[in-house]
Amino acid sequence: MSAIAIERLSHVYAGAEGGVPALEDITINVEAGKFVVIVGPSGCGKTSLLMMLAGLRHQTAGTILCDGKPIPEPDPERVGVVFQEASLFPWLTALDNVEFPLVLRGAPRDERRRRSQEMLSLVGLEGFGPRYPHELSGGMKQRVSIARGLVQDPPVLLMDEPFAALDEQTRMTMGHELLRIWSTTRKTVVFITHSLTEAVYLADEVLVMSARPGRIIDRIEITLPRPRTYEMMATDTFGQLRERIWQQIRKVP
Amino acid sequence: MMRWPKPSTVRWGILVAMLFFWELIPSTKIIPELFLPSLSKTLTVLWIDRVEYAEALAVTLYEVGIAMLIACGAGILMGALVGGIATLRNIMLPVFSSLYAVPIVILYPIFTAWFGIGSESKIVFAGIYGFFPVMLSTAAGIRTIDPQYLLAARSMGATLFQQITRVIIPASIPTVLTGLRLGGALTIIGVVVSEMLTASAGIGYLVSRYRTLLDSPHVFAAILMILVLSIMFDLLARTVERHTLVWQTAGRRDRGVAARPSTLPAATPV
Repeated sequence: MSAIAIERLSHVYAGAEGGVPALEDITINVEAGKFVVIVGPSGCGKTSLLMMLAGLRHQTAGTILCDGKPIPEPDPERVGVVFQEASLFPWLTALDNVEFPLVLRGAPRDERRRRSQEMLSLVGLEGFGPRYPHELSGGMKQRVSIARGLVQDPPVLLMDEPFAALDEQTRMTMGHELLRIWSTTRKTVVFITHSLTEAVYLADEVLVMSARPGRIIDRIEITLPRPRTYEMMATDTFGQLRERIWQQIRKVP
Repeated sequence: MMRWPKPSTVRWGILVAMLFFWELIPSTKIIPELFLPSLSKTLTVLWIDRVEYAEALAVTLYEVGIAMLIACGAGILMGALVGGIATLRNIMLPVFSSLYAVPIVILYPIFTAWFGIGSESKIVFAGIYGFFPVMLSTAAGIRTIDPQYLLAARSMGATLFQQITRVIIPASIPTVLTGLRLGGALTIIGVVVSEMLTASAGIGYLVSRYRTLLDSPHVFAAILMILVLSIMFDLLARTVERHTLVWQTAGRRDRGVAARPSTLPAATPV
């Protein structure tokens, strides 16, 4: 069974003359433990799709199944979300931010502390627990954000352009870090990005979406071996894969 | 080259200089005592009539206290409703914003007719006076919460109640506190002004009574008390803000910490 199964999903925004079609006939199957990256032009509905996967928004038609069951509302034990802006709560320390989902669930204090400390170590922020978000760099904030998404140990992690606000060097490092974290946790990841290099570097499979209404116009299997290294970016295979995605996106009017 | 002294040193210096000239200038007889009695004369009068002034202060503090409770309580409640509910906001906010610009002091004579010239009319007037900034900033604080915070909280499974208690309230505290500081200061102004207009007790009443008697030292003694009262309130409010908003000011505190690398883990991740 697929970790994520999206079947003939369409979405129409309410509006004049029957509404604005946003997503059209989307069918995606993601196997458990795979790293899937979605790329596409701005406004193609990538984020909407992710919101639906997270249970934060409802589609007009079609089904989304996660481990065989629909997601009528957010459930952090099944699906974790990492947003573009780190969206950490500035009034909570890094540790309290990571604990937040567990607090909402009413988990016992000891368990909360232990889990959050584990997650902070996993993302390489051991010892930064008592810091407030504004005392952390952009990259560190996203690490905390990832820790928060993973703290309930969901089988699926959704990431909406998590590194978009970072400078390029930090972004590369964070991509590499994410792959390290992913390889130790083996989550199913759906990752949205604008960066083609990032897409090829991270993904098992890249899905290319068209402009509005968003459709899946290409699926590209990334055959590069794992673990990925920075040197691979200079290889011909990498360049060809990147070029193929670029051709697809360029075709979009 | 001379280094500039610290701003706080300069501030204290200016205060000391003002007190010094307050003492010095009247003693030269350039300015008649009716216009400006000296600091020592003012303090002497204050000491001699300390019972009268203490009683007046008690009345004023009582009125300020109750008026602040009304202003803050009603202000936060209304602000939360108006800020949180879009329909209510569209109807009410323009009205409240316009009312804020009205000099409410014109209503004070009506209040004295309704509530008498005792403490009640001052409390009502000052309460309304302080209500507006509290209400408007609470509404603004709630309205300007980053929607990302709420989205993130929902994605983590927060119920509506948890969104309110764990996101909306903490996120709006900074703006609400600013409103409380402003509203509190306006409440003090409201009480003192109304005491000066029509009253039988309170520090404001002492100011206007001694002014009609042309007794300048007593007037200045009362003014001094009001000054001290306002400054004390402001310092108190700032202290509360500083302690509540550790997460906003912690950065400044922490730059000092960062200078000592021993407190940081060896490898600093990006």
